[in-house]
Amino acid sequence: MSFEHRLQRLEEIVRELEGNQVELARALELFEEGIECLRAASTELASAEARVQRLVERDDGGFELTDLRG
Amino acid sequence: MRKRRLGREAREASAPRPDLDLFGAPAVDARPTASRAAARVKELRTPYDELGDTFPGATPMSAVSVGTVTQTARDILEGAFMPLWVRGEISDFKAHRSGHWYFCLRDHSAQLRCVVWSRDRRLIPAPPDDGMQVAALGQLSVYPTRGEMQFAVRRIEAEGDGLWRKALELTRARLAADGLLSAERKRALPRYPRCIAVVTSPDGAALHDIAAVVHRRAPHVRLVLAAAAVQGETAPQELCYALDQLSRWGVADAVIIGRGGGAREDLRAFNDERVARAVARCPVPTISAVGHEIDVSICDLVADHRAPTPSAAAEAAVRATEELAAELRSHWRRLADALAARIEGAHGQLHRIAADLASASRFTLAQRQSLVRDAAARLHALSPLATLARGYAIAQSAEGATLASVDDFEPGTTFTLRLHDGSVRSTALTKFPGPSSLGP
Repeated sequence: MSFEHRLQRLEEIVRELEGNQVELARALELFEEGIECLRAASTELASAEARVQRLVERDDGGFELTDLRG
Repeated sequence: MRKRRLGREAREASAPRPDLDLFGAPAVDARPTASRAAARVKELRTPYDELGDTFPGATPMSAVSVGTVTQTARDILEGAFMPLWVRGEISDFKAHRSGHWYFCLRDHSAQLRCVVWSRDRRLIPAPPDDGMQVAALGQLSVYPTRGEMQFAVRRIEAEGDGLWRKALELTRARLAADGLLSAERKRALPRYPRCIAVVTSPDGAALHDIAAVVHRRAPHVRLVLAAAAVQGETAPQELCYALDQLSRWGVADAVIIGRGGGAREDLRAFNDERVARAVARCPVPTISAVGHEIDVSICDLVADHRAPTPSAAAEAAVRATEELAAELRSHWRRLADALAARIEGAHGQLHRIAADLASASRFTLAQRQSLVRDAAARLHALSPLATLARGYAIAQSAEGATLASVDDFEPGTTFTLRLHDGSVRSTALTKFPGPSSLGP
């Protein structure tokens, strides 16, 4: 799931939780899913690419990336 | 001026031809009888008698054709003149429907008729205007069909880069007419880009600057280069090709196209109409970062965003990691608050229910007491997290389902007790249905 999608899912979870009628067991489930979304999004933010890659087109029309430099 | 090697026409001219035969007899046979022949020849001889009949055109008999003399004149001119730059004022410019351009180069005393053949137009940025002061590079020649001296032009430069400015204006007008410069077309940059593509030279400073900013500011974002020359004759094609590759690859969330600073003529590729249209076609938002002093390039106008330098483009393209982390923190707070509110809500509901039940007068004291104890038990069972801290535990099955009733247990089965600071794997021993199970 992309960072953006995770944030969207978090938004949905919070809105459902903020609504009055959710059952407590369901509330716990939603809470856990929300925590998981946050954890995954944080991990993605923490990853460091620190390099530039070059796009190369192959003869068959496909693409590959070669490392350029740090 | 050095003589050039003779052209094809000149070589044809030097093949044996009767009217140009330097050493042969005159074209007409004038020897019926010796005396009549001698008299006849006497009549026909011209003032060039002394030269004899050795030169073509020396006599009416050896007169050369119009085609021959004009073609020879052309060969002589083309041999005598290298291509050269001539300075003058443009007049009588006409773009013929054949694709060729015709005009005169004038000064106060003379004029030169000029032509730009359509195949040579590609290196001239724009058609010159009458009155422009220019320098034109061309080959002097003769155009036999019209019997005129002609200057075949391949390059024109106008004072103050006039032709390049005109070309830029013409391009801008065409793009505007197609709606490619309008503000409504501009797209917002993505809020959470994962991959940014850069169209620039692999050796230039632009790529280096962009990489430095992205790696410092948002190191989780991928940077991919689609390499292209950013100046020179091949630059426009290479830039278009790089943009096309990126759109077919389809992974980048945004594209930065640009280069570092340079002389005006080095930046010309970014005023090229083909490059502009390729930028307009790009399926994701584009940022143009063409180092320049005063002028705006066509690329700047057609892109979704414009940045004064490659570094500024990178800053616009990626939001700092800190900003994104702050977004995550605020989501976390809302999540935690929502859950706490939900639990408090449950608390409140149950308190009210318990109070109502306890005050109902048709119940005996004992019944009221047991109802209150019931409600209290349910209250506790229903507010797990807030209650956990007060020493209560939640029983959960292996699948994580809450075990809220004596009926949910089987002696001998295992379940998990969740406390505020951990959990305990437990085994059910015996069950005692009924409210008295609340304990001593």
